[in-house]
Amino acid sequence: MSAVWRVARAAARRRRLQTIVIGVVVGVSTATMVLALGLLTSASAPFDRAHQQQSGAHLVAVFDGPGDGLAETAGRPAVAAAAGPFAQVTVDVAMTSRIGMPLTVAGRADPGGAVDRLTVWQGRWADAPGEIVLNEPPGERGPWSLGERVDVAGGRTFTVVGFAYSVSRSADAWVTPAQMSALNPDSAQMLYRFTAAGTAEEIAAAETAVTAGLPLLGTQSYLTLKQEVAAETAVYIPLLIVFGVLGMAVAVLIVANVISGAVVAGYRHIGVLKALGFTSNQVLAVYLLMVTVPAVVGCVLGAVLGHVTAVPLLADAFAGFGTTEIAIDAWVYALAALGMPAVVVVTALLAALRARGLSAAQAISAGSAPSVGRALAVQRVLSGARLPRSVSLGLGVPFARPARSALTLAAIVLGVMTVTLASGVTTSVTSYRAAVEPPTENRVELLAAPPRGFPGPQRLPEPTLSDAEDEALLRSLPGAAAVAAVARLPVGVVGGDPAEVYFHRGDRDLGPVVLSGHWPAAPDEVAVPSRFLNQRGLSLGDAITVEFDGDRTRLRVVGVVLTNPADEVYASWSALTALAPGTRAHSYLVELRPGSDRQAYVDAAADGDPGLTPIPPDEGGSSQAVVLIGFATLMTLVLAAVSALGVFNTVVLISRERRRDLGMLKSIGMTPRQVTVMMVTSMGVLGVVGGLIGLPLGVAAHALIAPAMMRAAQADVLDIVMDVYHAPLLALLALAGVVIAVLGAYLPARGAGRATIAEVLHTE
Amino acid sequence: MTSDDSAVVELTDVRKEYSDSVALDGLSLTIRAGEAVAVMGPSGSGKSTLLNMVAGLDRPTSGSVVVNGEDLGRLSETGLALYRRRRIGMIFQFFNLLDDLPALDNVALAAQLTGTSPAQARRRALELLDELGIAGRRNVYPARLSGGERQRVAVARALMNRPALLLADEPTGALDSRAGEQVMDLLLDLNQIGQTLLLVTHDEGLATRCASRLVEVVDGRVARESRLERTP
Repeated sequence: MSAVWRVARAAARRRRLQTIVIGVVVGVSTATMVLALGLLTSASAPFDRAHQQQSGAHLVAVFDGPGDGLAETAGRPAVAAAAGPFAQVTVDVAMTSRIGMPLTVAGRADPGGAVDRLTVWQGRWADAPGEIVLNEPPGERGPWSLGERVDVAGGRTFTVVGFAYSVSRSADAWVTPAQMSALNPDSAQMLYRFTAAGTAEEIAAAETAVTAGLPLLGTQSYLTLKQEVAAETAVYIPLLIVFGVLGMAVAVLIVANVISGAVVAGYRHIGVLKALGFTSNQVLAVYLLMVTVPAVVGCVLGAVLGHVTAVPLLADAFAGFGTTEIAIDAWVYALAALGMPAVVVVTALLAALRARGLSAAQAISAGSAPSVGRALAVQRVLSGARLPRSVSLGLGVPFARPARSALTLAAIVLGVMTVTLASGVTTSVTSYRAAVEPPTENRVELLAAPPRGFPGPQRLPEPTLSDAEDEALLRSLPGAAAVAAVARLPVGVVGGDPAEVYFHRGDRDLGPVVLSGHWPAAPDEVAVPSRFLNQRGLSLGDAITVEFDGDRTRLRVVGVVLTNPADEVYASWSALTALAPGTRAHSYLVELRPGSDRQAYVDAAADGDPGLTPIPPDEGGSSQAVVLIGFATLMTLVLAAVSALGVFNTVVLISRERRRDLGMLKSIGMTPRQVTVMMVTSMGVLGVVGGLIGLPLGVAAHALIAPAMMRAAQADVLDIVMDVYHAPLLALLALAGVVIAVLGAYLPARGAGRATIAEVLHTE
Repeated sequence: MTSDDSAVVELTDVRKEYSDSVALDGLSLTIRAGEAVAVMGPSGSGKSTLLNMVAGLDRPTSGSVVVNGEDLGRLSETGLALYRRRRIGMIFQFFNLLDDLPALDNVALAAQLTGTSPAQARRRALELLDELGIAGRRNVYPARLSGGERQRVAVARALMNRPALLLADEPTGALDSRAGEQVMDLLLDLNQIGQTLLLVTHDEGLATRCASRLVEVVDGRVARESRLERTP
């Protein structure tokens, strides 16, 4: 075996460049696969773990009234375990507090029970009136500290005595049942675990069974929460999987090319090995070892790189979830460590079997005898073409070894496909961002009275004019094209996360685009983003119940709007009048006429009412969009570089195999530049074909990936996301193959042009 | 050595060192127009290095190589390529034909590199193949040609651009005796119509038959020069 190892090591050293190429390509592919599989398998793992530990509720159901008769539902057929009824009320945090969202408070005597066993991770459970325990994930720092006071509307004050965590999100805070009675609860919650809760259908069936005949207000399924948690990372997964598969495919192609090239170029070497007494299997082992070693090294480094990249991504995604246990399943690493080298070895085996089957005499003679010309018809046609001879010779080179050219072409196709896909994804993300956040250059937003929870400076000047006077002022100023008044109210949504309602008055065009249905007009109508509906399992036409200032209002979803956050609700001013009469607009949106002086308008507004404070435009994109675009760009560069490495490798092989031809061409007067042109042309033609094949494949991949990403983000698939490939972009992308081919070919082609040729011409 | 107006090749005190050896050690040699010079010597004596210097395939460590009045040491790589294209023709022991091209296109290639149109280059190539007696084999690929035929194709290619100097490196070394004879006759004929010839060979028969002067190189120097009476 030592002789095999020694020969394989020498062969790998002799092909140092190709050995490095294999290592790099396998490393990149492994890293991408670890990243993709890691995110895929670990995205919901922390939720599952926490849900199991806490015996989390499969369904949180909220019923109207004091909860009479709810305890009996624990005995209904679908129920495996139940907790409750717990009285529930939504209290409004007073304006003087640091946050403005309403708190859903439940009355519980203790954190244990059969369902939703809370983890009290700091302080203790509330056991006296005036004490409150807040729901925060372990380690998360909320707005309050232990011992701090929470002032709620109505003049009540609570002291924070502990922090507990409910993975089921059954409430925002807990007090004792006695305290809850004093808060006059108007509803009660039941927490259920079902005998079958694996699918949304099973949950829906069980929900029907347990809530039948009862005054149900709303429910929250654990599957919805799980999806929400996984959504952050799920957006990346389709893209990562495709990039991982593309990377692996390119790795396979390059390995096949390197090995078959080594076998072809090494016929004489194989013959000599056999003549020395190497068995066929030993020769096979030499060629397998030659690629397996760099593949394994690349694989290990790639797994480390994938781990280093995946863990921060997961940690970031789960930061709001409260888990510190970020781990990728061991099988992902095992699969990468064994799978990638296995793929490489199988590929190498197929190519190396040729070496195994050659007899010594065959191999030696094959290495020296001139071969019968291949693709001769093509060469003859090109000889007569009115092209520079270096170009026509280059065009014929790919036909000399069709199998190798096919492998190189495939690598280019995958490269072009990657570039096309990534460009499409980037354009989709950018188009989506542009649609949900219209250009701000002609827009001015002026704050009149900060709404509750507004994160900006708290000491703002009070407006001197009334709401109507401010709107009239803004409309009258030079440059104003459209004005809308907006009031924001945080509300509780029964059976789900709280939301922010935006009440609009004035010019409708300044509100978000309505994708389906219509803009709300009546007091009981709202429009919501698709993510709001998808996260809550609702549809257009369904009703939601919101709580504000202790009042509960039922609103009907009449439109789906194009905005990104999942917790925004849009309503007309008439709804505000019904919900919170007398509330003034918190801000004004102004669309200026093109060419207007933005600063002059703001100054004029401030002159009219010093209480109108301009809000700086939000220029930054979302972090997810930045990550997606950054990731797609990075993967494009990496995979395009890997494809170019495939071309590089092919030109190196051709230059070595055809060094005698190159020497002869130089001996009859071909200049180094002409040799470079010839070699670059030989790959450029593959680049052109690769571009034409890879482009539609990339477009097709985008047609699959973009909807998958949108669905993963719990958003609807929009035309602006799908319709991204326009003629100029397609024309540019069609050139991607040529760019990859030329970049990959240039250096070895220039090397071939500069190589000394004297010796090769005089020897056989 | 003084400059000679009729000199096609002038090597002056040429030295070529490699990392571990000296191939040429102050070699000087002049070849005049119309001469046929055979360079002989033992293996490793520097014959092929001498040929590489004249062909512009390699550069001397010191000394000068002037061909047709052009100092090769002053030429760039591209300049050397243009020099090879226009001034010299080379034939090799192992022919060095492109396997992918038939005989006619192998020959035409040399002219096409100079910008000659494909049709014109093929016409000229066909004329040469006809003169060398293998026009009938013009569409045959090198792998199907005999050794003698391949070398005739190589000679035709070397003559394609009407070179001032024809360089031949062991032109009969890979041929059987009959094919070797044919190639010798061909070279003799070429020299007799005025083609300047520089041959590197081990074959004394070739030297005495084709060359008018014999230069013996030993250890990178000219050891002996002699005029030859060509044997019929």
